[in-house]
Amino acid sequence: MDKDAELIKKLKDTTLKDMAFSALLEGYQERLYWHIRKIVITHENADDVLQNTFIRVYKSISNFQEKSSLHTWMYRIAHNESLRFLEKNKNKSYANIEDLSSTHLEILFEDVYFNGDEIQMKLHTIIANFTEKQKRVFQMKYFDDLSFRKISEILKVSENTLKSTYYAAVKIIEEKIMD
Amino acid sequence: MEKPPENKSKNTFLKEAFIIDISKHHTSYLGITVPEVYFEKSKVSILERVKSEEKNSKALEKKQLFFRISPKTKYAAVASFVFLFGLAVWLQNRFKKHALPNINMEMLSFTKDNLINSILVNDADFEAFADATLLNEIILKAESAERKMDNFFINSLFIEDSLMDIYTSESFIETIIL
Repeated sequence: MDKDAELIKKLKDTTLKDMAFSALLEGYQERLYWHIRKIVITHENADDVLQNTFIRVYKSISNFQEKSSLHTWMYRIAHNESLRFLEKNKNKSYANIEDLSSTHLEILFEDVYFNGDEIQMKLHTIIANFTEKQKRVFQMKYFDDLSFRKISEILKVSENTLKSTYYAAVKIIEEKIMD
Repeated sequence: MEKPPENKSKNTFLKEAFIIDISKHHTSYLGITVPEVYFEKSKVSILERVKSEEKNSKALEKKQLFFRISPKTKYAAVASFVFLFGLAVWLQNRFKKHALPNINMEMLSFTKDNLINSILVNDADFEAFADATLLNEIILKAESAERKMDNFFINSLFIEDSLMDIYTSESFIETIIL
């Protein structure tokens, strides 16, 4: 039995649930945080969404049918929670989920937990101008180091589409960074 | 753009090397950081929030105990209640019928002592009693008197002249005065 399967078994056992949940937090908290942070941009918002994500995981682990891996399932919850957050706050800080490019950069550069240099700001500007799909695929592949298969399961897009999207995004970055 | 050497050309997502470096990776490429010891603090606050959410949901579950009964049981409970209520109403009416005598308004109104009878009648039934008395006293009695008068005149046609005086004095008194 692999590590995740053992963890799922313990999470579904009411007597071991709390202990297993603590282990789950230990293993996945950081990775999910960075995925969320790239979507909701600021640390404060990422913290809120991360908490909501784990509460949702805790509440619905008993209904987890294990059709996908635990990691993919949690990643999808985090992704959906982040999008829900953006949707909920679109009238406050964010203009629109589909059109975040300008507000994305403004919010990011004003965040106290951003101390990027010129190159990093340039990279952010390039990524912010990607389409929403390109942005997610590039970030999940490049920064979260997820396999195309897992990204495909999370975003429900075919692997081939993801590959072409990713390589197109890499090409754009390479060209623009060189300018 | 090159990836850090430890992450290059390998599927490292669940491997220790990448897990240790994920924050560094984001900081060095994207310039985004987190507060010091954030993940330790966050873990504690998530665990606390989960516990309080669990307490709240348990309290809510207790409050909603009735509504968590399965639909089948709910229907059976409602049907039993309706049946028992119906039975109670039926039994009550049945005993009421036995306890109270059924007063016949028609019979009461046909007796001579209308004033005494009116005392016996309930307030609720008084209107019915008054209608029955009116019908009896005015319409039926008037009709009967008219018929008697008709008979008196028809019979007088068949009586001989010599006996007319006797018939008139007897029947007239009986029919008209009495």
